[in-house]
Amino acid sequence: MASTPIADLSYRNYDGQLEAPTFRWWVVAKMSMRMAIKKRGFWVWSCISAYWYLILGAIYYFVDVLGQQSAGQVNFIFASTVWKDKFLDAFSISQMLLFIVALLIGVGTIANDNRANALLVYLSKPCTKADYLIGKWVAIFLLLLAVTAVPALLFYAYCFMSFRQYGFVTQDPAFFWKLLCILPIPAALHASLCLGISSLFKQGRLAGATYAAVYFLTLSFTKAMQVIIVINWVDEMPRQARRHAVNAASHAPELVQSLFYGSVDGIQIGLAKVILGTNGTPMFPGNGSPPIPHAPNGLVFGAIYLMVCALSILVAWTRVRAVEVVTS
Amino acid sequence: MIKLEGVSRWYGQVIGLNDVTCEIGPGLTALLGMNGAGKSTMMRIITGQIKPTTGNVQIFGMEPFANPEVYRHIGYCPEIDNFYEHKSGREFVTYLARLSGFSAAEARSRTDMVLEKVGMADRADRKIAGYSKGMRQRIKLAQAMIHEPDIILLDEPLNGLDPVGRRQFINLLAELADAGKTIVVSSHILYEVEQMTRSLLLLHRGRLLATGDLRVIRSLIDKHPHQVRIDTDEPRRAAELLAALPNVVSFRFTPGGEALELEVREPDSFYDALPDLVMNKGLKVHGFTSPDNNLESVFKYLVDA
Amino acid sequence: MPHGACKVTQVNVASIANLTVKYGNFTALDRLTVDIPEGCIGLLGPNGAGKTTLLKTLLGFVEPASGSGTVLGQDVHTGGRYIRQRVGLMPEQDCHIPGMSAVSFVAYAGELAGMPAGQALRRAHEVLEYCGLGEARYRNVETYSTGMRQRIKLAQALVHGPKLLLLDEPTNGLDPAGRVSMLELIRSISHGKEVSVLVSSHLLPDIEKVCDQVVVLMGGHLKATGFIKDFKKIEGHPVDVELREPSAQFVNALAIAGARLIHSNSTTYRIQMPGTPDEVLVKVMGVAKGCNVQIRGFQVAERSLEDAFLEVLEPGKPPMPEVARG
Repeated sequence: MASTPIADLSYRNYDGQLEAPTFRWWVVAKMSMRMAIKKRGFWVWSCISAYWYLILGAIYYFVDVLGQQSAGQVNFIFASTVWKDKFLDAFSISQMLLFIVALLIGVGTIANDNRANALLVYLSKPCTKADYLIGKWVAIFLLLLAVTAVPALLFYAYCFMSFRQYGFVTQDPAFFWKLLCILPIPAALHASLCLGISSLFKQGRLAGATYAAVYFLTLSFTKAMQVIIVINWVDEMPRQARRHAVNAASHAPELVQSLFYGSVDGIQIGLAKVILGTNGTPMFPGNGSPPIPHAPNGLVFGAIYLMVCALSILVAWTRVRAVEVVTS
Repeated sequence: MIKLEGVSRWYGQVIGLNDVTCEIGPGLTALLGMNGAGKSTMMRIITGQIKPTTGNVQIFGMEPFANPEVYRHIGYCPEIDNFYEHKSGREFVTYLARLSGFSAAEARSRTDMVLEKVGMADRADRKIAGYSKGMRQRIKLAQAMIHEPDIILLDEPLNGLDPVGRRQFINLLAELADAGKTIVVSSHILYEVEQMTRSLLLLHRGRLLATGDLRVIRSLIDKHPHQVRIDTDEPRRAAELLAALPNVVSFRFTPGGEALELEVREPDSFYDALPDLVMNKGLKVHGFTSPDNNLESVFKYLVDA
Repeated sequence: MPHGACKVTQVNVASIANLTVKYGNFTALDRLTVDIPEGCIGLLGPNGAGKTTLLKTLLGFVEPASGSGTVLGQDVHTGGRYIRQRVGLMPEQDCHIPGMSAVSFVAYAGELAGMPAGQALRRAHEVLEYCGLGEARYRNVETYSTGMRQRIKLAQALVHGPKLLLLDEPTNGLDPAGRVSMLELIRSISHGKEVSVLVSSHLLPDIEKVCDQVVVLMGGHLKATGFIKDFKKIEGHPVDVELREPSAQFVNALAIAGARLIHSNSTTYRIQMPGTPDEVLVKVMGVAKGCNVQIRGFQVAERSLEDAFLEVLEPGKPPMPEVARG
């Protein structure tokens, strides 16, 4: 072949290695992740979503350092801390920021592909509709999981190393495993919802707007529920009693308390509460803070969660059409 | 009928047309050029959608920009594909007829007639959303013809039609041209344009490169003298005999040895001398032709220059 | 129409037997039986004949209602993935993956087909170079003009080195120069490189330039198949004589000399005269000299593929003249 001085640069066939034409979804997933990581917004908002962990970490660090200076005294702040509630707080607070990350990387995918007619390219290769959808889902899921898990696990490691004497491990020995269970919850929900909503549109912006609408409408709904609970509490307890109430249980109707968790955020927070086995503690512990609705029914909400995920994926499956038919 | 004088049009810094002067009369004229040469700009100026930045354009002596008087005389079949998708073809054409000012009854009868002419009479009641490309093209032509304009401009009209449809369309346009209308067709598919007309208008990078009859233009391209291809079993003997002619510029022997290609400066004298070789000198010739006397070659020569 | 005479020694890249494909109530392919031989084949047919459906079925992503088919030895029903790994499709509509440069897009297409990542990138560059995309390959595909998009579609079909290439209207929207270069690309791939190409197009002169054989579909059935040169032959070898100016005197003199006028168009006359072309030329030149007219062209008449195609679809209709009226 190298015997002639001038190389033959005309078309050459490819006779090299070809992998077996199965499991193409991983290729799709890798490429989607690569394209999402390239966006600067993704990094910015991911870092911001970990802000509560950073604040908590800073507070605890300083309290710890200061507390050690007053030699020997057991730091009363740490003594009264329910550790897993701190993680629950951080989990709840990061919800909206996670939503923004999902909006950036997830909701435009199928919509943009619809506009560019990309499915024709995918399907003309040994890649089926299942490969395509699974790949996209896995990409969003893995990225969101990383965004949720990395700060949480880092904070866990910090607490594990520093605060074992305050009962970090002994408060709930199974906490680590429960933490691992709640971390994929937002990732899976957002991945499914993003796919479902994205497949309905031909423009990424419209899909994003719709997702935002769904999110915020349900959020305002739960805020309304929260207002009802507070009003109920104010009504029921005279002012004096309120000031001395600590972690009072809410006497609002059960339905209102359950509906408090009826939003994109809420489902996740509710399930987290169920798995962790806690109702959460108020942000600023002390007298006079309004009650927090207790954790919802685990089975019911678990089922709702799975149904929402499955329904979204089903929508995506039916909307992604392989073959367009034009009758003459 | 259509007169352009020194027409230039630019969009910011990008030049659309650069000092174009021409006249387009009755019959079928082909408007040709590469992508971005200025064909759509020219069409838009003629149909009065935009004004030339300098120069003037006159349709029947009137300026077309925002001039409904002129619009009565023009029909436009654009390249873009936007319709009211929820309407049926018939409704769409009737609606546009009404917009032209016809009464409801007259609009309906004209619609029937024009749909018959474009071959959509049986399919016009379906919604446009379900139409194939070819059907959409026919509806576009129908709405361009409905008010019986004297000038019809068509931008890529044969796009998406199958060969049967194309023949019908070409026949229809030929009919209209024979009836004295001015038809301007812009297309990239040169062999189809060749079937329709020999009169062309070639634009390149906004400038008018050539206008007139194809054969005349070909004979004027000095850089590429008239080419002749002679199919014969004895190309070298033919070359020997022909070399004596003073106007022959060059010979080329085809690789397969089955033909002789040559260039001549004055074709007339060559074609007058050839019969002598065949009849008297016994040169065996299967056939001869001028291979670049077609639109594609002329286009290539003019644009590449 | 010539049918199976040349199929004896041919290898078929695809075979379809009694294939029926329905979309709901609409039957796109109706008990179609056809063999696609090696080489460069043109797929012709009016709109709605089932050409695109046939291409999609060959790729294995449309479920046929009945019938069987094999492509490159794999069954169409079960071997869809395997087929698509060895077949490349250049679709008619615009398609690309949003947000990627040309190189990334073509490399991604290669990876989807199963190439290892490094090979995919190397091969993407090679194929883009071959398709004539130079520096532009690092730009986002969404900024491309029509001609470049067509080339990208061809590149993504070629990147995994398919043995069978399916092209659906490859010259759509290209200007004359772009058309010429695309056809040259296709011709050079299909001749001598062990790649079979199936081109579906409405533009018959394009098919003439690149393909050697054609398959004609109509209404979901196979209407005709064979070599292009067989389709173009006219029985009896008439000749086209072109004069510098039209001359009725010439026509009369020809008739006296024993020629039959088949049809005429401005300066071109199609006549039937006994004898080989050389002999006929001598006679015709003699007649021309007698009438003092100049002959500008003389050719054995061939039907254009378009005329032959229209004849196949609507037999009995007279052919159109090829050159415009003056």
